Amino acid sequence: MVRMDKFKAFLAPFCGLVFGLFILMLIVYFASSLPIFEREGLAIYTTNVWKASENPKNEFYGVLAAIYGSVYTSVLAVLIALPLSISFAVFVIDYAPKRLKEPLMVATDIMAGLPTIIYGIWGAFVLVPILKKYVMMPLYEHFSFIPLFSFKPSTGYSYLSAGVLLGIMVTPFASAIIREAYRSIPYIYREGVYALGATRYEATKILLGYIKPAIVAGILLAFGRAIGETVAVSLVVGNVFNIHPSLFAPGYTISSLIANQFGNAYIYGYMVPALFAAGLSLFIIGLAVNLAGLMYLRRFKHAR
Amino acid sequence: MLARKVKDKLFIAGITILTFLTILPLFHIIFSVAVEGLPVLLKGGWDFITGTLAPPDDGLGGIGPAIVGTFVLTFLASILGLPIAILTGIYAAEYPNSLLGKATKTLLMIMMEFPTILVGLFVMQILVVPMGSYSALAGALALAIVMMPYVAVYTEEALRGIPKKYREGAFALGLTRFNVVFRVLIGLARKGILTGVLIGIAKVAGETAPLLFTAGGATRTYFEGINRPVGAIPLLIYDLVQQPYKNYHEIAWGASLLLLLIFLAIFLPIRLSLKEVRL
Repeated sequence: MVRMDKFKAFLAPFCGLVFGLFILMLIVYFASSLPIFEREGLAIYTTNVWKASENPKNEFYGVLAAIYGSVYTSVLAVLIALPLSISFAVFVIDYAPKRLKEPLMVATDIMAGLPTIIYGIWGAFVLVPILKKYVMMPLYEHFSFIPLFSFKPSTGYSYLSAGVLLGIMVTPFASAIIREAYRSIPYIYREGVYALGATRYEATKILLGYIKPAIVAGILLAFGRAIGETVAVSLVVGNVFNIHPSLFAPGYTISSLIANQFGNAYIYGYMVPALFAAGLSLFIIGLAVNLAGLMYLRRFKHAR
Repeated sequence: MLARKVKDKLFIAGITILTFLTILPLFHIIFSVAVEGLPVLLKGGWDFITGTLAPPDDGLGGIGPAIVGTFVLTFLASILGLPIAILTGIYAAEYPNSLLGKATKTLLMIMMEFPTILVGLFVMQILVVPMGSYSALAGALALAIVMMPYVAVYTEEALRGIPKKYREGAFALGLTRFNVVFRVLIGLARKGILTGVLIGIAKVAGETAPLLFTAGGATRTYFEGINRPVGAIPLLIYDLVQQPYKNYHEIAWGASLLLLLIFLAIFLPIRLSLKEVRL
């Protein structure tokens, strides 16, 4: 006879509660965005319009600019985070002087946990002026024929500012994952590589090949963090409905769109469903990217 | 041979520079917040901690309601979130191979990475709209959802880190599973669990996005009950930075310094007592 495990029966409802909450969240997002899908179909995702009106007949919403901006800024963030986080991980584990190792790791852990609003105020008042003066203006003046640099940086609030700030914010996070993987490489491999006469550069290249899945995981999870970040981004991205190839153009991201518009959305007929639809796209992108990242990480841990 | 050596030197120089570039922003941030915020705290004095927000372009006033709000929200979020989180963590640790246990572990990892603004929007729809008002309760619920996965994952890892012989010993004494976990294992894992609780608290004390559409952000009234709007330091900074007034920017810097100090006071002792944290 199988005896019912009372302890399990006591704990399971709490797990169920957490699951229920998550499923309820998904249902709320679907249900709340339903009116906009019924009205516009997929045009909510494929057009760039934002027509708010007292008369619901004239309302039309398309959040393509926000999706574009979210992906654009997060890709920039990852491009910045990739070289920094790998270099940091390798340096801290293999080459940093012993006295420096711990302080370096503590510094990045503080960065990973720092309230994002502090990045936001620093970004808006310190980073943006620096980037505008020393990066955007010179590049615009000399290379404005290249599409990437073609927008005149009037305020400095732009995709680039958001991308750089996000890059700074997610680097410690990506680096923590890569660092753990790099540390876990059996010592015997290091000895073997050096015994073959490899230089430090060649050895690192070979060892990094060994932890490739962990690097991919770190980058995917960093992308997931970047795309979900709200307040820091909304203070530096400019908050303009805009789809522009230039790094220096202001734009929107999904999360900053929600942060900016949701406060007064309830006075319109369809703006709330439109914003929930935007949230749903973030929900799904975030879920997909993070699941992929977690899978890579698990695969790496099991391969060992 | 020479080319290889040159490449090697360049490589070491390269990663050294990139490493310092990685942490440079932290020092720049701390420096900026200190330089801009310290004069504000000194000028504002005690009133800056206890007073209410000044009118635009007229002095500093204080951020008292936001400070009280942050403590209230964090406290309420802990009451709502911690018990569920710890019990969920225990389940994931006790039944790691059951379907629900595995699924729970994955769900917790996903929730850790989940965009926090979406949590705020969700709570607005299920609590703020039906209640008809922003409230401390709604803010706390949003923060509790953000906090839960951290505490649960730490609890799970702390319990799984306990050597098997303690569990076997406890069972051998004839204790029920309930007593094995709550009388023996929890005590052994208390440091890990406490770390998770503190990390969770440090995390939510600095969160802004989940509060945007839930807490409401009172700046001139102190805590008036859990069904009334309440302020929070991060929320206040976010609002003030977007205002055009110079004195509001000063207050925002002062509040940032205070928030930074609160964060470091919770986080640094945890980090220094451990090898590794998960954020």
